[in-house]
Amino acid sequence: MSPLATQQNALVAALFSWPADAAVKNLADFADLSTPGAAHLLRGQRGLRAYQANGHALAERALLAAYPVVAQLLGCESFAALARALWHAHPPVRGDLTEWGGVLAAFLAHDEQLLGEPYLADTASLEWALHQCAGAADQAPQPGSLRLLTQHDPAEIQLQLAPACRVLQSGWPIVSIVNAHLMASPALALVGQKLRLAVAETALVWRQQQQPRCREAVQGEADLVQALLAGATLGQALAGAPALDVAAWLPMAVKSGLLLGVTHQISH
Amino acid sequence: MASTFGVGWRHPHYRELLERRPALDFLEVHSENFFADGGAALSVLMQGRAHYPVSLHGVGLSLGAALGVDAWHLDKLARLVERVEPVRVSDHASFARACFTPASAGDGASSLPVHAADLLPIPFNRAALDVLCANVQAVQDRLKRPILVENLSAYLRWKPLSGDAWLSEAQFLTLLARRTGCQLLVDVNNLYVNALNDQPATVHADSAAWAACAVSACADWLNAIPPACVGELHVAGHCRVADEHGEIAIDDHGSPVCAEVWRLHALASRRFEGVPTLVEWDTDVPDLDILLAEVQTAKINTRRPDALLQSVTRP
Repeated sequence: MSPLATQQNALVAALFSWPADAAVKNLADFADLSTPGAAHLLRGQRGLRAYQANGHALAERALLAAYPVVAQLLGCESFAALARALWHAHPPVRGDLTEWGGVLAAFLAHDEQLLGEPYLADTASLEWALHQCAGAADQAPQPGSLRLLTQHDPAEIQLQLAPACRVLQSGWPIVSIVNAHLMASPALALVGQKLRLAVAETALVWRQQQQPRCREAVQGEADLVQALLAGATLGQALAGAPALDVAAWLPMAVKSGLLLGVTHQISH
Repeated sequence: MASTFGVGWRHPHYRELLERRPALDFLEVHSENFFADGGAALSVLMQGRAHYPVSLHGVGLSLGAALGVDAWHLDKLARLVERVEPVRVSDHASFARACFTPASAGDGASSLPVHAADLLPIPFNRAALDVLCANVQAVQDRLKRPILVENLSAYLRWKPLSGDAWLSEAQFLTLLARRTGCQLLVDVNNLYVNALNDQPATVHADSAAWAACAVSACADWLNAIPPACVGELHVAGHCRVADEHGEIAIDDHGSPVCAEVWRLHALASRRFEGVPTLVEWDTDVPDLDILLAEVQTAKINTRRPDALLQSVTRP
């Protein structure tokens, strides 16, 4: 390893290690960490603390942007501590912090202090899906293509769903939890009741124009959407979703921006 | 050649700036904020691009990393450059990528590249210059255009290793520009923050003397940079933090540009005649009118009479 790489690894270790004592001691071989005094510069230990503090502030800000509901559920102090813990345990690997934090759900699921809040991990999964949805590639609706639904056999048709559409199943009322905090509906009292009863909800995530959305999947919808996302034709997807009221689903899906268009596959 | 002036376009001003469309020569945005494949942020940027030239200023390329530039990051940047057709592309003479083994990886796990999401200093020696030049060249080859590289506000100082030929920062950056054909983005506030933190504690009791020494050091730095190497100037605010850990000046971009930095900007504008000036304000972002007033100050500042600069060059 080159001396430069050794120096850079030492500084990064001093920023991400927790506790940092051993890494800081190692860094002192390469960097001036003297405490400011009469003849010294205003850097040293104070400068290293500035970098460490900036990392923690970035961690809190980045995680809050992706997980506003988990932040509200935990409260400011606990969420800040969680962000710092995740920063040290799973440092960013990319230079775009919107990419950091995807492991939070797994991190929460294994946190012994949060064993009493088992819905938090699934709530985090839903929030991460919404976060990813926000930056997915744009796709324009193709309303004119909907006429293909009446012109061709469902076995020859594929549906084009909204950007980053996903289905998430949970044993907890995650859609109600997220929408109660982000959209003020349903009421928190109702969410509390669902939590006590451990009501399971299956979330459907999609983007309506530029706005990420989630709602509880209607009966049969999760099966249909998962099949469509896997590349099934409409005919195949409907065969796997017998509980779906397709006549009611189609206009709702178009109106809400979940269904953007239809393509006809020429069968051979 | 007439100078141009722009502002850092940040989230609190997205809508208002599009509605008011103030007279600005360019907008600067942080490249990484628009790496997504689509969505609201990218849509806003393209609306801004319809009315203003855009300068893409990166904070995450990690140009000084011994590990090299992350191919994923460069792909994202290249795609954004293709979309936006920016007037300039820039990043910093810093590193953020290095190898680290988190405790969560378990005993015996090998280290992996991580990104510190900060602008960490590089030593001003030949080995670091070679790495920086190679990385800058790789980025320029990929983007098919020269980039600008910004001087850093650094809060940690590397010790020279044995046998190191140590360069001054001005020498280091000048060699970078000459070897790669990149231009330098001179952040005047970063210079001043470094100079404040470099002054010995013996001058701290007299704040006027402290500032004067720092301004003088910055003037020497500016005068050591060949004008042809410089392609842009940045000005911003900074703060001074004093707590139980000690006192330090921090380049937080969260307040108006101070008088000393304006004086140095005037000097830099004279020396690097015609280069664009950007006003940055990234934390505690004020009303748009306050930011635009800073731009007006920058314009007036470039026309300061020579006499006002004497105290900068001869303290």
